[in-house]
Amino acid sequence: MNFGKNLTRGIIRENPIFVLLLGMCPTLAVTTSAINGMGMGLATMAVLIGSNVVISAMRKIIPDNIRIPAFVVIIASFVTIIGMLMKAYVPALDAALGIFIPLIVVNCIILARAEAFAFGNGVADSFADGLGMGLGFTVALTILGSIREILGAGSIFGNVIFGIDGLIKVAYEPVIIMILPPGAFLTLGLLIGLINWKSKKKA
Amino acid sequence: MANNVKIDWKNVFKLGFILLAISAVAACLLALTNYATAGTIVQLNEQTNKAARQEVLSEATDFEQIPPEDLAKIATEIGIENPGEVVEAFIGTNGGAVVGYTVKTAPTSGYAGEIQMLTGISADGLITGISILKNNETPGLGANAVLPAFRDQYKEKSALKEVTVVKTTPETGSNAIQAITGATITSRAVTSGVNMANQVYQTLSK
Repeated sequence: MNFGKNLTRGIIRENPIFVLLLGMCPTLAVTTSAINGMGMGLATMAVLIGSNVVISAMRKIIPDNIRIPAFVVIIASFVTIIGMLMKAYVPALDAALGIFIPLIVVNCIILARAEAFAFGNGVADSFADGLGMGLGFTVALTILGSIREILGAGSIFGNVIFGIDGLIKVAYEPVIIMILPPGAFLTLGLLIGLINWKSKKKA
Repeated sequence: MANNVKIDWKNVFKLGFILLAISAVAACLLALTNYATAGTIVQLNEQTNKAARQEVLSEATDFEQIPPEDLAKIATEIGIENPGEVVEAFIGTNGGAVVGYTVKTAPTSGYAGEIQMLTGISADGLITGISILKNNETPGLGANAVLPAFRDQYKEKSALKEVTVVKTTPETGSNAIQAITGATITSRAVTSGVNMANQVYQTLSK
């Protein structure tokens, strides 16, 4: 196992969203805009790296039969700490992500990486895995958020693209369904389809 | 009964102790972070609230809070269905003279639960502005209530009578606002927050 391989695996080959289909709840719920997707991705990445490193460092101390409750305590502590830091230092993002921050606790990517990787590998490898999986998650959420925001609100990262006072001056009626829950399913489904079609053609 | 199953008490205590140790360390770290951030969070909330008060009642230079127990009494007296929806109220003054009031309400009738909002009312009974502090409404629909296009409709409306919601452009001079297309529930909830503030104002200004 080498560091680079662990890092890149999560970004493309085993992308948590597009390939592993883990953590669908926050994916579908928060990607109403590019910035929300990215914020959620980065917050999850911070928790993932932290919990991966700590769980890997403690893998010799934590007995096998109580590993799940131990993982949950560690993950929940990280999420709460990050939640408090966000409230204090980036209140705008905290207001936008609201309820989804505490929900990182039950995001299955984090428990899955703890169980499948960090508990059986060294600290450096686990760090790389957390970083890679976190980046993959962030990239996927940002792509989803961007597509939905462009179609559903005519803007990206809050910058108006389509519209009277936008970059491209056209009369534009936003496709509101794209920023509603059905838009999340449509975008995600089509993206996964596209990726599967591409990877099949390659093989 | 499974009398012949022997419980390994030594192991049970050992595992319990390890879990306790992990939890204790986690609790210490949480307490430390809370200690470091709690002050900033309170300060930030205070700043946001103050900025919002200033925004909806720009004439005022100082704000003085109405004692919560008095406000709770007023809310019950005027017959608000759920008195908890009236959160807090301030008297706005400028050079000692009362220029108006701000009332924070939290109508729970929104499409996605509670909407925290602030209504400013001048001493002569006109709404000076509203601000939505917190909401979980649908992005692109109800969440558009935070935009000036919707909020500014309440400006200059009378606080002495009920503000109503219509679906088409309201007649000039009527005390009505136009609902956001596709978000009538949100529009009604915000208006109910304004009307609660109006009722509180009517009692306070007596």
